[in-house]
Amino acid sequence: MNTLSLPRIAYGVLVALLLVFLLAPVLLVFPISFSADNFIAWPPSGWSPRWYVALARESELLLAFRNSVVLGLVVTVLSLAIALPAAVMLVRKEFPGRDILFSVFTAPLLLPSIVLGLAILIVFVGRGLVGSWFGMVLAHLTLTLPYALRVLATGLKTLPPAVEDAAGTLGARPFTVFRRVTLPLMAPALIAAGALSFLVSFDEVVISLFIVGPQLKVLPVSLYHYVESRTDPLVASASAVLILVTLLLVIVVERAVGLRKAVGGGG
Amino acid sequence: MAIARAPHAAGEAPRDAAPAAGLNSVHLTLEALEKRYGNLPPSVSALSLQLRQGELLGLLGPSGCGKTTTLRMISGLVPVTAGRILVAGRDVTALPPYRRDMGVVFQAYALFPHMTVAENVAFGLEMRKVSRTEAKERVMRALGMVRLEALADRKPRELSGGQQQRVALARALVIEPSILLLDEPLSNLDAKLRDEMRNEIRDIQQRLGITAVFVTHDQVEAMAICDRIGVMRAGRLEQIATPLEMYERPTTPFVADFVGRMNHLRGTRLEGGGVRVGEAVLATAGTSPAGEALLLMVRPHRIQMTPAATAQPEAAGRNVQPGTVRRVTFVGDALHYEVAMGAETMLVESSTVSGPQSFAVGDAVFLAWSPDDTLTFPAGTEA
Repeated sequence: MNTLSLPRIAYGVLVALLLVFLLAPVLLVFPISFSADNFIAWPPSGWSPRWYVALARESELLLAFRNSVVLGLVVTVLSLAIALPAAVMLVRKEFPGRDILFSVFTAPLLLPSIVLGLAILIVFVGRGLVGSWFGMVLAHLTLTLPYALRVLATGLKTLPPAVEDAAGTLGARPFTVFRRVTLPLMAPALIAAGALSFLVSFDEVVISLFIVGPQLKVLPVSLYHYVESRTDPLVASASAVLILVTLLLVIVVERAVGLRKAVGGGG
Repeated sequence: MAIARAPHAAGEAPRDAAPAAGLNSVHLTLEALEKRYGNLPPSVSALSLQLRQGELLGLLGPSGCGKTTTLRMISGLVPVTAGRILVAGRDVTALPPYRRDMGVVFQAYALFPHMTVAENVAFGLEMRKVSRTEAKERVMRALGMVRLEALADRKPRELSGGQQQRVALARALVIEPSILLLDEPLSNLDAKLRDEMRNEIRDIQQRLGITAVFVTHDQVEAMAICDRIGVMRAGRLEQIATPLEMYERPTTPFVADFVGRMNHLRGTRLEGGGVRVGEAVLATAGTSPAGEALLLMVRPHRIQMTPAATAQPEAAGRNVQPGTVRRVTFVGDALHYEVAMGAETMLVESSTVSGPQSFAVGDAVFLAWSPDDTLTFPAGTEA
């Protein structure tokens, strides 16, 4: 370690401040979730797990949580099932308009979700899709597909060169090549695309807000409504649970591929 | 085989310099092969050649000449635009790669990173539904051939480049393919390993008696191990011949330059048969119409250099020209001289082992070479 110069110290302080700025609200959730108070206050006057107990009894939130998990899983599976063949075509086949098509397919990434949500609402309203599972899945797919497509396309492009050709010359038919060589080598990209799709769907508030109905509640929207009407620390304990679940998923992805490689890179 | 005279018809189809079929039968035939991408000029065109069973053919040429495309057409990885590919008389042109039974070694090795060395080598056998026990035995035999039995359970990323390429070779050979195709297999290896590997490839190829095509841009590599070499340029086969004939009797200036150093002299054919180059009149072995502009080529090591002080070596019909040494370069086993000869600069190469004496810059010398060592081409064919 070399001596600490002034610029180095200044840089360190800046990074530390930025981290505090980004993470403080998130970290604050944990102590507040153990508050014994009846409303959110800092610092809490006493400590208690009572809001976790309350959370476990809040049947409406639990139902919304279950709905969100089911929705996330369905959307993830569909995203991968649709995005994988699409990525194979867009990366492997040469055809006119390919690059434009890829841009169009990934464009929703750039649209503000309020615009997307409104557009979806306008389309759905006349067709009875609002408040339905089918409508919710469709709406979430518009968000998750661009992510999945992008991650899988990057994965395909970064496959080691000529391995599929090599498998072909060794006697493997195209489908066997895909199953024995392409798919195993795509595993990290598939895990990353899946995790990302799930998180995006699980976390989505704005678009869900347009689609939810009395029969179909999802967690982010229910939490939002809860905060609107109540001020007790129950949302903090719910948030703490969510943060831990998300962290777990991120760790899985990081282990499988390295987060940076999975999300960014290539293009 | 009679030594071909330098031809004048440059567009002429390259002659097949293989000894007449007899001992070995024709195994691979390419007939007027052509590959086009869209409206671009063809990547490969009018490519015809025949390989005998057990022959190693080198496809040599600069990058972009179509040699790799040709190899990929043979393997079926690239569909042909026109022409036919026959293996032992059977037309395989329309067959997909997985039904061609050819072993391919790729430039970037192309090992399956998620499989062990043994699994990589076993892959082709598995596709052929070879029983597990037999496959295991054949895998170990193939790995033994490339001396890698000890690394059977490693993953490719734990291997050095040379080891990876040997695995790739074993994987291509274990299926006992009818033809082995090698696409610049040595270009990712360092110089020392490259020499070692190329000899290893040659040994194995000869031991198995397998017909093989070896694509490279390195003429030394091709010369060293190939039975015959086909030099390609802009999608066409310029010449196909044994390495020695290719070197001694190139049929085009491009081939002459590609397979070794050459002196270039420009001149005009005279009535009497000589060629005027600047002030000098040189003798050549061939004849051509008087007045034709010619390009003469002489290999640097074919020129004999003697001191001007001694008697002029006016030996039987040889070209003898005075010159002055301008530069001397020592390259280990040889000396390279740049000699001013009239308006031309000639490169002369003499072995440091057998050369009678060495010269210094400024020395007046005579350069002498035989008309037989002078290749003549119509001017303008070299570009």
